[in-house]
Amino acid sequence: MMFLDLARKNAWRKPMRTVLLIVCIAVAFLIYGLTASFLAGTQGTSAASDDILGVMSASGRTEPLPIAYMSRLAADPDIAAVGYMTRLRGFVDIDRNVVAVSAADPDLLMTVNGKGLGLTPELVKAIGEGRDRVLVGRALANAQGWRVGQRVAVTAFDTRKEDGGRDWRFEIAGIFEGENAATDTYFMIARYDYVNTARARAKDTVDAFIVRPRDGVPSGELAARIDALFANSAAPTRTQSEKQFLEAFLRQYADIGLIVNLVVGAAFVTLLMIVVNTMVFAVRERTFEIGVLKTLGFSRLGIMTLILGETLFVFAVGGSLGLVLAKLATMISGPELGLVFSLSVLAKGLAIIAALGLVTSALPAFNAMRTPIINALRAR
Amino acid sequence: MTENTPYIAISSIRKGYRLGAEAIPIFSDLDLSIPRGDFVAVMGPSGSGKSTLLNMLAGIDGPDAGTLRIGTSRLDQMGESARSSWRAHNMGIVFQFYNLLPMLTAAENVELPLLLKPLSRKDRRNRVEKVLDLVGLAGREKQYPAMMSGGEQQRVGIARAIVSDPGLLLCDEPTGDLDRKSADEVLGMLRFLNQEMEKTIVMVTHDPQAALYANRTLHLDKGNFHEEKRAA
Repeated sequence: MMFLDLARKNAWRKPMRTVLLIVCIAVAFLIYGLTASFLAGTQGTSAASDDILGVMSASGRTEPLPIAYMSRLAADPDIAAVGYMTRLRGFVDIDRNVVAVSAADPDLLMTVNGKGLGLTPELVKAIGEGRDRVLVGRALANAQGWRVGQRVAVTAFDTRKEDGGRDWRFEIAGIFEGENAATDTYFMIARYDYVNTARARAKDTVDAFIVRPRDGVPSGELAARIDALFANSAAPTRTQSEKQFLEAFLRQYADIGLIVNLVVGAAFVTLLMIVVNTMVFAVRERTFEIGVLKTLGFSRLGIMTLILGETLFVFAVGGSLGLVLAKLATMISGPELGLVFSLSVLAKGLAIIAALGLVTSALPAFNAMRTPIINALRAR
Repeated sequence: MTENTPYIAISSIRKGYRLGAEAIPIFSDLDLSIPRGDFVAVMGPSGSGKSTLLNMLAGIDGPDAGTLRIGTSRLDQMGESARSSWRAHNMGIVFQFYNLLPMLTAAENVELPLLLKPLSRKDRRNRVEKVLDLVGLAGREKQYPAMMSGGEQQRVGIARAIVSDPGLLLCDEPTGDLDRKSADEVLGMLRFLNQEMEKTIVMVTHDPQAALYANRTLHLDKGNFHEEKRAA
């Protein structure tokens, strides 16, 4: 038997109470795991780059910019590559089945952010073989059950065609995987020339330019210079990193990070109170035994370590269970929910387990440590 | 320390308690000498200070004044952590109600004091097996206290008290909760430990028959000891 065995046996002396405590902790860490995974993977913000810049209209992201800006951007010596895209939102079959289409020049997109999106020369070649061809992201393809070669029709919400219709027909030329699991791949890439030619309005405009700065060029400074370049033009720009853009986009609806932190915070504060209360009572019930241990020669530090170990054991079991469940949930839910149980989520979770274990055991451990042996032995 | 120096030396001990504003004196000038290897029974009416004496000898309570030396250690000058360490290495205690931890097996209960010593798992297990064999509980290592009789639990308590091989054994009414037969077995075991293993034993008891197992009996009354004269 070791010190840890003693702590473990103490924890299990009332199995029902310990199981309920572990379930309680597991649920709190499941909530943490899911919400943190949601935050980490919210529509790809975790994978979004701080280096890739998006140049949009300062009047709002729905306001287009003239494609003529392209040449002025490309002339900047600090810009390594520039591309453009226009966004077409619509639905497939039923109006709740919303999809997004980014119409871009595939070659330019490959140069600017091909690595991040997981584009390959084969994919770019495949989309180039027909004007109505598209590349579909893996998450979207899986969610819709689409295959290469299949034809799909997207009914646009706003973007009408010259013939007045809103149905855009595409042929799937390939599927891009994204750089990693956190990359947003819940959209498709169409050819800009096809969309631009066929649409009824806003021809020769784009929703955004995508800029990759040269190595060593601070993206913040470049963004400011780009905005200054178009400050006095008819359509001033607002340049942000891809990450900033996505976060700002999400913040239009709500500060998701704040909401998630509040939910997790509330769960943990409740958990803290439950566990502290339970542990205080559990240790108080054993005051006499603590007196016996002290009589046998266990020091105050030894008693504190014992209670610390007991609480940490309960937290380790419950917290690990919660994190494992969260990981399983993110795997089962599939990529369309955008849940990414990253290493940082796991590391933060483990740190919280340790911190909460220490905080919750502090009061009962301190009480047990301080109780004089004489008083403890009278507590039977 | 010479050969004639007592193992336990209590000199001019003063000890009292406060009950609200009232001070209740227990000992005002207590002296006691116990040589190494002695087996002393302490008897006396309730409230005479037997438990207080035992608590002071165990280092779980301290005197208000006076000196208390056991072996070469001045317990009256030690802080709490030093007394914890002293208890772990020099003293074993046998309680009236055994005070075994219910979630631990007999062997694990006996092993508890050894967790405080730098011993390997194997050494601990060997020592536990040895003392359980000594108290007649070989083969009962994996039984929980609830599965044992009072006498058997007390034998586990004795095994726990001697497993770290302390020089001093303090017994607080060790047979107070046992029937006569079990009590005699436990007392016989204490006498064996005193005679064969040279443990110094101080036993507090109300039972005159239990006191007969000791080498001498001290009666504690009104804060003073009176040694009982025994027929030769």
